[in-house]
Amino acid sequence: MASKIGVYVCHCGMNIAGTVDVPAVIEAAKAMPRVALSKEYKFACSDPGQEMIKQDIKAHGLDAIVVAACSPLMHEKTFRRAVEAAGLNPFLLSIANIREQGSWVTEDPAKATEKAKAIVAGAVFRAARQEPLEMRSVEIHRAALVVGGGIAGIQAALDLADSGIPTTLVERQPSIGGYMAMFDKTFPTLDCSACILTPKMTAVGQHENIKLMAYSEVESVSGFVGNFQVRIRRKAAYVDHTKCNGCGMCMEKCPYKAPSEFDQGLSQRRAIYVPFAQAVPNKPVIDPATCVRFKGKKCKTCIKFCEPGAIDFEQKDSVEEVTVGSIVVATGFQPMDAKKIPQLAYGRHPEVYTALEFERLNNAAGPTQGKILTKDGRVPQSVAILNCTGSRDTNYHEYCSRVCCMYALKYAHLIKEKLHEATVFDFYIDMRCFGKGYEEFYRRLQDEGVRFIRGKAAQVFGGKEYKAIANAAGFIDGLEDHQLVVQAEDSLLGKLIRVPVDMVVLTPAVEARADADEVGRKFLVSRGADGFFLEQHPKLAPVSTTNDGVYIAGACQGPKDIPDSVAQGSAAAGKALGLIARREVEVEGTTASVVDELCSGCKCCLTLCAYNAISFDADRHRSSINEVLCKGCGTCVASCPSSAIKAKHFTDEQIFAEIEGLMSM
Amino acid sequence: MSFEPRIVGILCNWCSYTGADLAGTSRMKYAPNVRVVRVMCSGRMDPTLVLKAFQEGADGVLLAGCHIGDCHYISGNLKTLRRIPLLKRVLVELGIEPERLRLEWVSASEGARYQGVVNEFVEQIRSLGPLDLEARRLPATASAS
Amino acid sequence: MDVATPFIEVANAIVEAGGKDLNLCYQCATCTGSCPWGYVEPLNIRQLIHLAQLGLEGYESEDLWKCTTCGTCKTRCPRGVGIIDLVRSIRMMIGETGLIPLTLRSALGSVRGDGNPWNGSRVERNRWAGPLQVPIFDKARTEYLLYGCCMASYDVRSRKIVEAAVRVLRAAGVTFGVMGQGEECCAESVRKIGEESLFERVAGSNIELFKAQGVEKIIVLSPHCYDAFKNDYPALGGKFQVVHIVEKIASLLLLDKLRLERPVKAKVTYHDPCYLGRHNNLFDPPRMILSKIPGLEFEEMYRARELSLCCGGGGGRMWMETKFGQRFSDLRIPEALAVGANVLATSCPYCVNMLQDSRLNLNKEEAIEVKDLTELVAESLV
Repeated sequence: MASKIGVYVCHCGMNIAGTVDVPAVIEAAKAMPRVALSKEYKFACSDPGQEMIKQDIKAHGLDAIVVAACSPLMHEKTFRRAVEAAGLNPFLLSIANIREQGSWVTEDPAKATEKAKAIVAGAVFRAARQEPLEMRSVEIHRAALVVGGGIAGIQAALDLADSGIPTTLVERQPSIGGYMAMFDKTFPTLDCSACILTPKMTAVGQHENIKLMAYSEVESVSGFVGNFQVRIRRKAAYVDHTKCNGCGMCMEKCPYKAPSEFDQGLSQRRAIYVPFAQAVPNKPVIDPATCVRFKGKKCKTCIKFCEPGAIDFEQKDSVEEVTVGSIVVATGFQPMDAKKIPQLAYGRHPEVYTALEFERLNNAAGPTQGKILTKDGRVPQSVAILNCTGSRDTNYHEYCSRVCCMYALKYAHLIKEKLHEATVFDFYIDMRCFGKGYEEFYRRLQDEGVRFIRGKAAQVFGGKEYKAIANAAGFIDGLEDHQLVVQAEDSLLGKLIRVPVDMVVLTPAVEARADADEVGRKFLVSRGADGFFLEQHPKLAPVSTTNDGVYIAGACQGPKDIPDSVAQGSAAAGKALGLIARREVEVEGTTASVVDELCSGCKCCLTLCAYNAISFDADRHRSSINEVLCKGCGTCVASCPSSAIKAKHFTDEQIFAEIEGLMSM
Repeated sequence: MSFEPRIVGILCNWCSYTGADLAGTSRMKYAPNVRVVRVMCSGRMDPTLVLKAFQEGADGVLLAGCHIGDCHYISGNLKTLRRIPLLKRVLVELGIEPERLRLEWVSASEGARYQGVVNEFVEQIRSLGPLDLEARRLPATASAS
Repeated sequence: MDVATPFIEVANAIVEAGGKDLNLCYQCATCTGSCPWGYVEPLNIRQLIHLAQLGLEGYESEDLWKCTTCGTCKTRCPRGVGIIDLVRSIRMMIGETGLIPLTLRSALGSVRGDGNPWNGSRVERNRWAGPLQVPIFDKARTEYLLYGCCMASYDVRSRKIVEAAVRVLRAAGVTFGVMGQGEECCAESVRKIGEESLFERVAGSNIELFKAQGVEKIIVLSPHCYDAFKNDYPALGGKFQVVHIVEKIASLLLLDKLRLERPVKAKVTYHDPCYLGRHNNLFDPPRMILSKIPGLEFEEMYRARELSLCCGGGGGRMWMETKFGQRFSDLRIPEALAVGANVLATSCPYCVNMLQDSRLNLNKEEAIEVKDLTELVAESLV
């Protein structure tokens, strides 16, 4: 048992010291059993902080260390390294989490201080009973998984594959490309989106190191860093893609139609379809909700016209399992449903568009071949773009969506470019043009004659609605029924203004996908209060997560534009590569083992182990645990009637001591 | 002085401890009465740990692990779920109200849920009053002898 | 252009008086753009807030008393600023300097002296109950207290609403009684005018009386009473189960305790009262009730539910003169006519009054009737 424990209480600047009375905790620690010294430090994780601990271990012969600071999930590794550098076994360190579960969650300083003392006592009591352990090396599987085939996932997959790592890319839709594939041009450079994206998509499709699994979803993930087992469900396409030559006859002949998801419902696709012309893979799938064969009818059109005989209505979902060393989650975002804001008339008036609808309307490959037209085929003379649709708004999303100001400017430019005579109004609260070349783009659009109105659009009226109101109130109208009126206060004028327009474009907030919670649980990635996946550290570990070996990239982590998504895709690939390059990873030797002389041979433990790590030696009439297979969960330990199984680093004695410590204050 | 419950929380590393940390990084405030022990899995939550906590003077014990189906170790939480009914009966035998033990599922993304669970449990224990195990056991011992 | 120097002490005083969200406003102007005054004579609520943020003069102008507390700006405010609380606290500060408009002072005086804002006599309170044989509330015999609102006691038109309510509740077998002369105004508007101490006194006296009589459940006819009892009284110790008559009728219909069998031949549209809809989210029950009345044809106006246009009677405006051309209710009648309605239904005595006035002023007696939803339900009883 340790007899000279060193206790270090970190201020973490004001993060801890602002609430917890650190000197009082230091004094309390001095009185705890077996504590040889007790010190405070501004930032214990800093180099001088670690150096101090190392010096003290050597100078005072400390045999266990307690650091009271942030969560062990944050810096346990840092301090273990420091302790090890001073010649002490790293498992003789115990962390007291007085920040995440202390100062940050407790209002009253006196109570926070009392709680901190108790947490420190728990760690001190535990530290006294901790035992040296060796780390275990586990080989890292030289393969990676990327989830999500938007631009962030594409980038990550290409970077990994180019480095020679076999990479599986899973995409839920029939094609990769994500939202970027829907855009016409990109801000602020006005590159054609398809022109810069398509080559990357093709590269993914043809890469020898990429296994592309489109129309597939990850079903479950098990295992640990270096060795994740991932089950992937490939949805039945009802087309044998090994036979299909992508000729497209089936799509041409199929008599049944549904609104095109890719075109935001502004056009129709067939029941057998590829989402768009440049799709990768460029092989069709049959949508069972539209195809009449799934409703008991006898249509055979696609079968008849398919020369290679690839149509297969007997196809079922199939499940594949892959083993990978690391995972990049790049599952993206979804736009907020603009119908949630009734005053903006979306869904009530045909000429109110969401941003994605406008992208398609404006896209050369879109439903109007890129002509900006109203639904009844008129060329709009005036268009209003409304910023902050559900962003920066506590009723919907408190955060800024980061891309809307810029794509609003892009739309303004595209409208001006195509319809020289049209007037464009942009209603904004603040123009946020923070990126490279963004402010310059804003200036350019002012120069192009866009009318900027400083005030959030409060209300959109359809022409008929407005006329009824205007007649009653005695406004002059002269409005056509098909027009709209946008009402806002121009706060720079201090005047209420009403602008008649032919078209309104909303900028719905970028939000976490509806299934983000489920996906997060699958990959053990937590989510922030905004719903997006949470990085390990907002500044210093932006693509890492608290689950070792799992990285996040792109808009699943928060609203992001294309350059930032690509940068994160590369960053996540880099982290994954770095991990794989280590070839093996040290994992804690916190496995369970059977104490031979206590085992009664009752076999209770055998059925409990989810990893089949426990076997029974019939000759010796004893259980034994294979520590290579053991993951250290401790379930068998808790269930052994003879207390014959010991969980290293989580022994009964250690936990009992911790409880005694926690209750001693 | 008003009664401030002392509660031991035993949290699994992957979901509930991370969820509790998330409450912290989100600066959610909650009652300071729960003192936490971290274990790797709720499967490790041995009944003796619970009894030890009561023995050391805890007025309540909160166990928290991953939601069913989400266990990082596949099924450790199911094993714990099965232990609880028997453990509660043991508590009754010992003269401890079974409500003083609570098992909750808190995922790594449920900081707000952790906050809610703690606040609610603290209030529940507050209304039950101090456990004061020694005082309770004296008459029991007397009647047994 | 004027030169101004911020006077932060004033801004701080407003925050302390209850306008706690003052500093959260980021001046996006959603409030001004959403305000119903925009249809008649725009009220720059954003600027008023900014002036208050800097403690500058100007917010105490006439504009301050224009706000009807309809809640349109508040529900849309992206920063979640309690704009009505803000207006209330600024009014409170101004009230202390005696700058309350004259007509409001008279109404407040009447509340202070006679327990109602209509200069009515105390003995008139709940006198309507006599001819209808509604008993005095007695917790042994009556389940509900029927709180008729000052309007039922002092306004002829509103008496019809309470009569209808009595018929409907009786038909469903609900037991209820009234409080008699001791009860006072709910004081919802008093609070919105900024007379916090008078509100606390009047509300306190009601709470004491209700508690002494063992009242647990209250049925109200006015969304304003509803809001006060539900959202303001609990902080003063008055925790009652409050139901608005439309909630009660809706639940009676769901439980099949009320049958509407007599056809009502009318084309009806519905005006959502601010304090029932936006303030308390009761959008669906009135529509459900209308769907159960046989023979009745229902048509929605464009400004329905969250978008509903205020009648102009909230926030103390009931007692202020609104110039012709500035009355919101004058805009509402043509809107109802535009959807082809011959009955404009609502469920608030203030709204009924304001809309009724407009109907007469606009010479639309022939074209459209204004009715409380309860009256339509009563008509449909066999």
